[in-house]
Amino acid sequence: MLERYIHCLLKEIKLRSTQWKDYQFSTIYLGGGTPSLLEPFQIEQILKAIFHNYVLTTDTEISMEANPATVNLESLRGFREAGINRISLGVQSFQDNELKILGRIHRVSEIKDTLGALAKSGIKNINLDLIYGIPGQTWKDWLFNLRMAVKYHPQHISAYLLQLDPSVPLARRIISGEIPAENEDLQYAMYYSTIDYLSGQGYQHYEISNFALTGYECHHNLIYWQAHEYLGLGVGAVSYQNGQRIINKANLHDYLTRLESDGICDTKILETMNEREKMLDALILGLRMTTGIKPSELEVRFGIDFIQEYYAIIKKLEQDGLLIIEPDRIRISRRGYFLSNQVFSRFI
Amino acid sequence: MQNRIRNFSIIAHIDHGKSTLADRLLQETGALAEREMREQFLDKMDLEREKGITIKLQPVRLEYIARDGETYILNLIDTPGHVDFSYEVSRSLAACEGALLVVDASQGIEAQTLANVYMAMDLNLEIIGVINKIDLPGAEPEIVKQEMENVLGIDRDEIIPISAKLGIGVEDVLEAIVARIPPPRGDENAELKALIFDSYFDAYKGAISYIRVDSGKLKKGDIIRMMSTGKEFELTEIGVLNPFMNQVESLKAGEVGYLAAAMKNVADTKVGDTITNAGRPAPRALEGYKEVKPVVFCGLYPLENSEFEKLRDALEKLKLNDASLLYEPESSDALGFGFRCGFLGLLHMEIVRERLEREYDLTLLATAPSVIYRILLTDGSEVFVQNPSHWPDAQRIEMVMEPFVKASIMVPNDYIGAVMELCQEKRGSFVNMEYLTPQRVMISYNLPLAEILFDFFDGLKSRTKGYASLDYEIKGYEASDLIKLDILLNGEPVDALSSIVHKEKSYQRGRALVEKLRKIIPRQMYEVAIQASIGNRVIARESVKAMRKDVLAKCYGGDITRKKKLLEKQKEGKKRMKQIGRIEIPRDAFMSVMDIESDK
Repeated sequence: MLERYIHCLLKEIKLRSTQWKDYQFSTIYLGGGTPSLLEPFQIEQILKAIFHNYVLTTDTEISMEANPATVNLESLRGFREAGINRISLGVQSFQDNELKILGRIHRVSEIKDTLGALAKSGIKNINLDLIYGIPGQTWKDWLFNLRMAVKYHPQHISAYLLQLDPSVPLARRIISGEIPAENEDLQYAMYYSTIDYLSGQGYQHYEISNFALTGYECHHNLIYWQAHEYLGLGVGAVSYQNGQRIINKANLHDYLTRLESDGICDTKILETMNEREKMLDALILGLRMTTGIKPSELEVRFGIDFIQEYYAIIKKLEQDGLLIIEPDRIRISRRGYFLSNQVFSRFI
Repeated sequence: MQNRIRNFSIIAHIDHGKSTLADRLLQETGALAEREMREQFLDKMDLEREKGITIKLQPVRLEYIARDGETYILNLIDTPGHVDFSYEVSRSLAACEGALLVVDASQGIEAQTLANVYMAMDLNLEIIGVINKIDLPGAEPEIVKQEMENVLGIDRDEIIPISAKLGIGVEDVLEAIVARIPPPRGDENAELKALIFDSYFDAYKGAISYIRVDSGKLKKGDIIRMMSTGKEFELTEIGVLNPFMNQVESLKAGEVGYLAAAMKNVADTKVGDTITNAGRPAPRALEGYKEVKPVVFCGLYPLENSEFEKLRDALEKLKLNDASLLYEPESSDALGFGFRCGFLGLLHMEIVRERLEREYDLTLLATAPSVIYRILLTDGSEVFVQNPSHWPDAQRIEMVMEPFVKASIMVPNDYIGAVMELCQEKRGSFVNMEYLTPQRVMISYNLPLAEILFDFFDGLKSRTKGYASLDYEIKGYEASDLIKLDILLNGEPVDALSSIVHKEKSYQRGRALVEKLRKIIPRQMYEVAIQASIGNRVIARESVKAMRKDVLAKCYGGDITRKKKLLEKQKEGKKRMKQIGRIEIPRDAFMSVMDIESDK
């Protein structure tokens, strides 16, 4: 099956390149699922196909998501040789009981082994994903996880609040009362402690949930937040081009058969946006970054005088202490990060 | 021709199968092709089908070939079975010569049914007893027959056992209608007198009236006169409902049908009015209906202040279908401009609100319902107050009186204790108790109407496992020790949240109310203090802490579209909130003033 999939993916890479031949790509990101389950030679096949069919910058950031215990020193070296220069590791927690609640198969000992291998792998740009707000997790538990993460000197840390879709088993256990419901005040304390602690350790808080040593912000994600265009390849992948967000067949069987028998990659339009909608996208994504947005840039890109048209809303948000207005820059306040939906929803 | 007309109604308690029987009658007489059939056909509103109850009657004309070989015209005028709508029942009954009394074979007669049967007997209607659902395992038709004979004096041998669901006995019912219900009497050559028993507004034809011709006849082109107002109109269309609108040349004495006369003003077709011919008017109108007076009031406000005119328009149109609805403009400091509306009961109120929202695309906010209080002031004058925010200052009040009802509750004797306990809790005083059969009793209590309105019925159902049924009639005013309970948000009184409570229950209620509000007011950008006060005295306090989290932790390429939808949904949710000062309150909060006890 895996081989079949890669075969189709390679086909898609070639097929869709015609639409993107005028673009120069500065990042590649292998993620969603666990790409680290692939063999290094398979990653190499994929990347080679991309290099061959698309125009790339010289210093392309090429990231791969990996889960602990799915990689070892040998495979990591293989990935590096294939072209991977950044690894995002789904650590989530440094405590076994928390990993168990999250339904993660790996254990803390395996995380430590993987981090050890990473240090020797020659890959010099590492992100660790961590989750807070896990049922039963105390403020101290969370700070312990953060301290553990920092001990390994990653260049980048993503700290995510646990947010569950009501359909997942863990959410159902919370709804049924088996596991205590979230505590908004505790989550608030955890979030702001994260910002304070990581800043003290030299990490810049550059997006609501993301922290990096200077120069190590994830370029790939910055492209999303700056509302630039991107191409998504593979089953269920989303692309953004010419104001349209489109999605590949999300059903694996359909994806494979269409490519195999018809040589066609079916996509579906998720949304088509006009200039104003595109601007609002750029706004609500841009405000996720601590640097915020530049109204002059929005005007150049979308032809809309943002300050003038949204003056009342912006002023109100400033009064509420959620927005900070500076010369040609608007950004969310410290208080506003954890209430950012309150900001975004006013503009929609 | 008149000899072969039968006008009849169906009296039944909710769930005793009235609509199902009506469906069967439609099918049996071929009024509907199989493909046109759907359940509860005569319940026109979606609301009725959803709730499985009949709110609004729709007349229907059936043609039935009886065993004697003759074709009869049967006009069925369906009736609602809820206490709030007994008014509508009386309208339907007045247009009939007979009624089917449908009783559930396992439930027996309910209090409500009894009241409606007495109403039919008062109008000298022929009553045909029908026991439905004889196919169900719990059916005890013999016991129910006994009960009908004991309580209503209906000959047990003439009662027809049926299963409307399975179609058993339906033909017997049709034959009994033909054989036992007298044909209408009324001279078609006399002056025209036609009773308007219902009307509704049609966007194309104007006001449509459902009528029963008592004497004389009418045809298209006639100039008709409304006897109460003297207004005249030219008939543009007359017809029958079989069950779809079907135009006819004329309608004669005894017949039932509809008419349209390009009446644009909703007040032009008053239900209960008599229509006559302008050229040859009748000397006297038919006896109209007893004017019904609303007993429960609440404020209805558009969530968007700009929709006030739209709401006025909608109320005006709805009023045409629903003579019992009263409304007048009022304003609230908290809610802006709206209407004080009067209803027959809580179900009526709920239905009107839902119809306004669905049929007129409004988003409304309802304040807690109130009865009309009668207050004697120290200066010797008297005022009637149906809005707590108009309650006089305590030092000006000499005495407060509130409406009391005589409630009749029918219940299996196992639940006598439970019912009496509930009535005592609701400030009731015992009147008497009567055994209908060895197993069933009727208990009578005097109770404050306000207690009945709020959650009495829910309490009754839950404490008697659904076996009890309730009917009540208003007796008049009695003195009560009542005071006004105010709610303050961040120190500001919110008039729309005030309520009138019994003094002895005021502390408990104040505490329960602030607790409830704390749960339903979502966290805001700032802390919200909720206080309950009597006069200037704060008796309870809670607070809603400031919101601290409203964030999407992750937002990347693949799911931006989905995340935006979440934000839009959140925005929609906000639109359904009422902004009072800086506080956003869910619109249901205003109703919560009444629900606090049923939540416990």
